[in-house]
Amino acid sequence: CFTDFFFLQWGVWALLLWPCLVVISNPEDCKEDHGSLTRCPSISQEKLLDRIIHHAELIYRVSEELCSLFEEMFIPFPLRIQSNLAAYACITKTLPIPSSKSELQQISDKWLLHSVLMLVQSWIEPLVYLQMTLDHYDHAPDTLLNKTKWVSEKLVSLEQGVVALIKKMLDDGTLATAYNDQSVPQNDVQPEVLESVMKDYVLISCFKKDAHKMETFLKLLKCRQTDRYNCA
Amino acid sequence: MAVSLSYDLLLLLVISSLDWSSTPGSAFLTDHNRMTSSAPVEPHFTECMSRDLETFRCWWSPGTFHNLSSPEELRVFYLKRNSPSSEWKECPEYSHLNRECFFDANHTSIWIPYCLQLRGQNNITYFNEDDCFSVENIVRPDPPVSLNWTLLIVSPSGLSYDVMVSWEPPPSADVSTGWMRIEYEIQYRERNATTWEALETQPHTQQTIYGLQAGTEYEVHIRTKMKGFPKFGDFSDSIFVKVTEIPLRESAVLLTLVLTFGVAGILILIMLIVVSHQQRLMMILLPPVPAPKIKGIDSELLKKGKLEELDFILNGGGLGGLPTYISDYYQDEPWVEFIEVDEEDADCGEKEDQKSSDTQRLLGLPQRSVGCFSADSHPDDDSGRASCYDTDLSEQDTHLLAASLLPGQPEDEEAFLHPDEKAPASETNKSPLIQTESEGKPTWINTDLYAQVSNVMPSGGVVLSPGQQLRIQENTEKESQKKGTLGEDTSKLNKPQFQLLVVDPDGSGYTSEITARQISTPPSSLVPGEGYQTIYPQPMETKPAAPSEPNQSPYILPDSPQTRLFAPVADYTVVQELDTHQSLLLNLPTQQPPPPCLPQHPLKAPVAIGYVTPDLLGNLSS
Repeated sequence: CFTDFFFLQWGVWALLLWPCLVVISNPEDCKEDHGSLTRCPSISQEKLLDRIIHHAELIYRVSEELCSLFEEMFIPFPLRIQSNLAAYACITKTLPIPSSKSELQQISDKWLLHSVLMLVQSWIEPLVYLQMTLDHYDHAPDTLLNKTKWVSEKLVSLEQGVVALIKKMLDDGTLATAYNDQSVPQNDVQPEVLESVMKDYVLISCFKKDAHKMETFLKLLKCRQTDRYNCA
Repeated sequence: MAVSLSYDLLLLLVISSLDWSSTPGSAFLTDHNRMTSSAPVEPHFTECMSRDLETFRCWWSPGTFHNLSSPEELRVFYLKRNSPSSEWKECPEYSHLNRECFFDANHTSIWIPYCLQLRGQNNITYFNEDDCFSVENIVRPDPPVSLNWTLLIVSPSGLSYDVMVSWEPPPSADVSTGWMRIEYEIQYRERNATTWEALETQPHTQQTIYGLQAGTEYEVHIRTKMKGFPKFGDFSDSIFVKVTEIPLRESAVLLTLVLTFGVAGILILIMLIVVSHQQRLMMILLPPVPAPKIKGIDSELLKKGKLEELDFILNGGGLGGLPTYISDYYQDEPWVEFIEVDEEDADCGEKEDQKSSDTQRLLGLPQRSVGCFSADSHPDDDSGRASCYDTDLSEQDTHLLAASLLPGQPEDEEAFLHPDEKAPASETNKSPLIQTESEGKPTWINTDLYAQVSNVMPSGGVVLSPGQQLRIQENTEKESQKKGTLGEDTSKLNKPQFQLLVVDPDGSGYTSEITARQISTPPSSLVPGEGYQTIYPQPMETKPAAPSEPNQSPYILPDSPQTRLFAPVADYTVVQELDTHQSLLLNLPTQQPPPPCLPQHPLKAPVAIGYVTPDLLGNLSS
């Protein structure tokens, strides 16, 4: 996270609310009920994918702001490099997710989507946990909490969208809770880090990285849908 | 592993918090300045950079250790920390010339932290924990290509302008597939300036620069970065933007200002003039409505009865012959409408001038009056004959009418209308006319002219046919008639001429313009009180011309005693009926004023011998 983005938080925050309204208030949109995924037959696949990508972009943007905000408030400058170092402490490192463009070019659409789903599903709980910890901070600003909350909520919708897309694209209806069982090794994280601040910082950094990953995967998928021959 | 990780973190925390600035070569990932130290610099990595998120390369420097001058002595090892069991591997591609290690696409993983270390001989490892990174964090995209600019608009003053700069994304960055999201930042400066002006980063491939000064050359370049990541790439090649000044625009602006102020000043001036000359302008714009009056004649004269003066004015004033008798007659009759002796009315004036005799004047009077009435916009005072008269009667019709009224002179109507001789207005003409009746009737009316209505004209005029007697008289008077003069010759006295009666509602007498006496019978022979009697087209006896009558004789039917016909014009009579011969059967005169010709005009008399309006005709026939 870098200090450059702190001044953008307000503007982007306002900007973020608008697409949420657009997405949510659209009558064609699927309701964000957990059990009502089957009630959206009208939306087309392209539109669904577009909406998912939009979600992912926003989530990444907010996570980036969240990271920079957190870093500015709680992380002294010398320690800010640790995000790279602690990258391997991310909770999702164990997931079999492609990590290079060449790899991504080789996997199928199905695996691409599944990778995204894995990522999304593995971050839902940690974000909830992060919300809880941030509430215990003494001087956590409201924007920080709001952003965390917002990201947590949007991630849930993203999961629903990806599941719906998988159903549409792959006709696979067995994915609703397939990866929820895959437990995220959160327990490993908690006792290791000395300070919760650092732990949270690492968490936020990791999430930011994974959000970028999600966004990139989905964009590649979109490119493949529109023009398979020229895309990666 | 977890324990080692925690210890690593702890160690890092302690070291960093104590003296973060003492780690050389650290933090090439960040942009903060490095503190220079005098201590010998060990080999370290200067920079690792990726251009396209698919490959990356790292550069190192041997430092100040001289014993490591040979480039091949240092080896690069990297570690991908994506699994607990990862190992250090050597750089896949060296470029010793540049001291660069290149990681191709097969060896590049995104979102996975890499750690690099340099190893020298004897397995001396120069490792800095700070040199761990994820590839997406070290991306510095290439600058855009194909920069060009177009002029958007020049300000009206010509001093400033806007340009649109457009470019292509860097070819190395895979933007089309969405692999990379790139933002662009434009910077520009004046040619000889030192500081750059930067515009806001935005993801589109074109941007507008506003407010450049004309005549100044600007240098523009662009750099890129990944959206969401802080590192900018290198700047592109500069392009130069310049727009020459257009001095005409300045003058156009000045001219516009001058015109605007000039117009405003003129408007203010006009306003002042209008306000100061308000009264006069009101007179010009809204002139007072003129009251009816005769030019040159004071209406006061008429009221006061200054007959001589009036006569002089009317007769000698060069205005043509308004018959003085008429003026005399009318001076007591305020309801009488005088002819507009205005010379502007050419027709009226012309006719006026050409009538020499009183009779002519009389005859011309109706014509003129008709014509005048039709030409002039007389006021609503529709008293007198004009009220019973169709004012729309055209001059042609009036001429025709008058001509037909004249016995036996249809061919000479021009002559009649335009007499060769002009009878000078004289008092002599006047005198016979001013003879007063015993009843105190209008003096000039000695006799009445009665005539048979031979035809009613569509315009409302009435064509009267002269009696036999009159015709005979005409024949005898042919010669004089040929002259076409209606002057004061006595011969013309025999000419029966129709005259249009102007009915007097007051019963004071016929307002007919009868100027001539009765030819055959003296007026005294008229029985006053006798009304009009039936006029029959009977052969008329030849009646000797009355030599003493300078004026025209009225129409007289030979049969009936003219005395009968020339009843003193004391009263109006009502036409009872029309005979089969289209003669009028009249009532005995009554003292009562006749019923009005038209309902709205009480002044109109029902009968004018020489003239019957269609309304009257209708009334009569009904």
